[in-house]
Amino acid sequence: MIKLNTAKDGETGWVASIKGNTRFLNRITSIGLTIGSEIEIIQNQEKCPVLIFNRDTVIAINRSECEKIMVEVIER
Amino acid sequence: MKQMTIALLGQPNSGKSTLFNGLTGSRQHVGNWPGKTVERKEGYFAFDGKNYTVVDLPGTYGLSANSEEEIVTREYIASGKADLVCILTDASQLERSLFMLADYTGIRTPVILLLNMMDVAEQQGKEISSTSIAKKLGIPVVPIIAADKKSYGDLFKTLKEPETISTMLDENILSDLYKRMERGVFKQVFSLLPEEGIGVYSSSWLAAKLIEQDSMAMEVVWDALSTDDRNKLTALLSQVRDGSLLTGDCKFKWIESLLRDSVAERKKGAPKRSRFDRLATSKTWGKPLSIAIIILGLVLSMVIAIPFMGLFSFLLSALSLLITHGLSDAGAPALIISLLCDGVLTAVTFALMMVVFVFGISLVFGFIEEIGYMARISYTFDNTMAKFGLQGKAIMPFIISFGCNIGGVTGTRVIDSWGQRVTTMALSWVVPCAATWGVVGLVSSVFFGSGAVFVVLSLFAVALLHMVITSKIFGKQLIKDSDRSGLIMELPPYHKPKYKNLLRFVLNRMGDVLIRALKIIILVSVLFWALSYTADGNVENSIIYTIGTFIEPVTLWFGLRWQTFMAFIASAMGKEAALGVLASLFNTSGEAAGIWAAMSGQAHVNTSSLGGALLTGISKAEALAFIYAFFFNVPCLMAVASTQQESHSVRWTFRIVGYYIVTALLMATLAYYIGLLIF
Repeated sequence: MIKLNTAKDGETGWVASIKGNTRFLNRITSIGLTIGSEIEIIQNQEKCPVLIFNRDTVIAINRSECEKIMVEVIER
Repeated sequence: MKQMTIALLGQPNSGKSTLFNGLTGSRQHVGNWPGKTVERKEGYFAFDGKNYTVVDLPGTYGLSANSEEEIVTREYIASGKADLVCILTDASQLERSLFMLADYTGIRTPVILLLNMMDVAEQQGKEISSTSIAKKLGIPVVPIIAADKKSYGDLFKTLKEPETISTMLDENILSDLYKRMERGVFKQVFSLLPEEGIGVYSSSWLAAKLIEQDSMAMEVVWDALSTDDRNKLTALLSQVRDGSLLTGDCKFKWIESLLRDSVAERKKGAPKRSRFDRLATSKTWGKPLSIAIIILGLVLSMVIAIPFMGLFSFLLSALSLLITHGLSDAGAPALIISLLCDGVLTAVTFALMMVVFVFGISLVFGFIEEIGYMARISYTFDNTMAKFGLQGKAIMPFIISFGCNIGGVTGTRVIDSWGQRVTTMALSWVVPCAATWGVVGLVSSVFFGSGAVFVVLSLFAVALLHMVITSKIFGKQLIKDSDRSGLIMELPPYHKPKYKNLLRFVLNRMGDVLIRALKIIILVSVLFWALSYTADGNVENSIIYTIGTFIEPVTLWFGLRWQTFMAFIASAMGKEAALGVLASLFNTSGEAAGIWAAMSGQAHVNTSSLGGALLTGISKAEALAFIYAFFFNVPCLMAVASTQQESHSVRWTFRIVGYYIVTALLMATLAYYIGLLIF
């Protein structure tokens, strides 16, 4: 299990846990990220928000918020 | 019923504004929700003998009560003012954008579901059966292409049917999912609530919101419960951890069950990214590309605007000549002719030029937004702009302001939060427009020679500091903490633009822009005209001279003589006006034009003789004071008019104007005393 901000481009996996206050949890679920949802890392560059693909959508998430999201990477 | 109120609800990028514009055209009223820093848009249309009022609710991702936008939405829906709620979803990203519907389920106001961008979904190889979804939900489901008015037929047909506003969204399936939630917490909360729900909310909806620790739902429930039940509820809820994750899971399971058998898809997985998109989001190239495209956009809007500007100024000067001759032949007094031609017609020219430029900017940047590139700008500048508490998109108005502040203010339109937008406007005023440099360049090189470079550098340094402080002062009142949370944003796919619609939407607004601009600009112009009017062209007979010399003891505190102070005041009308005013007030040779002609930018200024007159007229420290006062002053009357236009708040426009005049004088004072120490 790794933090989302340490995931590499092209990796796929599913969301294992999300931490944070109610406001953050509401925001992140309303944009489609829930426990168990599948994601693909599109682009993770230093100092830039992480780009992921989830539920048909490309989503940009701030790096510090990504630290609160744990991902189970699926080995290929 | 001859009158019906429809509320539009949907996530950002669902095409809500496009549909709103498409339905209502130019019949719109924009203001703010009472007591809130949130924009309120209402529009009207008539169809088949019935009048419809459309309320465009703020674009939010869900219905939690965490932001002002969401609170406004919740309060409006609870008020029962809407006969029908239309929830808009993006059919090309149906699963995610249906979250709004899931979050709405359990609110007992009639609702219909609109599937927007059906054309994009088809291109992606998705087959969506709206009838199958409608059967599961028990409400009308209408496919639509918001950008194409020809596709509105089904929507109009649905609005006409009487059962549309009587059928309710079926909440049982979602409710059952909630009930299966771990440790039965939902069931226990649910059992404490009145069976029939409270107001427009069903008990199932309220229970889910309570589990999400929603404070507004708690307020609703609190009054309906006995003391005993209140204690039970508090105890229950204190055990719940991360309730939003639990309910969110149920909501998406519900959406998945809704779409099963209703959507056929060819492929899954992330789409292949274009090389352009890789470049646009690249760490190295993203920023330069954004800046290049914004500058290109600025140039393009100039190209669109300049021919019109030329045409208008030609027509108006011809008209002015005609009126002058006509009226003087008819024996009208010179005062009236001057008022009409110099005061009112000049103002009309100003307003027309502003509208033309606003038109160019709106069109070009509306285009950049519509094709989906604006979201990439937001992404690349997120870190930089976060330092001012702003969205990444705010970079765009700042860059445009180097060309013209009117464009900068208009460009803030792409920012979706009203508070952020007004803060960005307030900040963009600091950015020196092209006209600023003419004056700063002349005065600083006359007084400081090669040292002018240091003056300009110091101006930039102070301007940056000004922006930091201004962002703190205005941001504190305008940007709520919830707005400041780190970026979580969707990057929409690139869309083909619909030129015709874009053009129509922009054109629709221009009449309104012109009328509002005319009001402000004529008022202020005529006021200044009256102050500077003299029958014989001698400055000393104008009101402005009397006032200026009278208050000079005070303006000297700021290091401003009455002439430079008047030039400072005039530069609030237009930066380029300052030179002409200086020239006429210092009585430089060959300067026969009146002050008003100078102010309205019609006088030709002989710069070399002005330089000489300035050198003999004021000291170096006073020159520095003037440069600072001028640089940090209100950019121009038209920028003020645009700010009022875009913020639709007279109060905030006045606040920003007042703030700029005060800080400009403060800067002048500081520069003056520092100047006295140096020189």
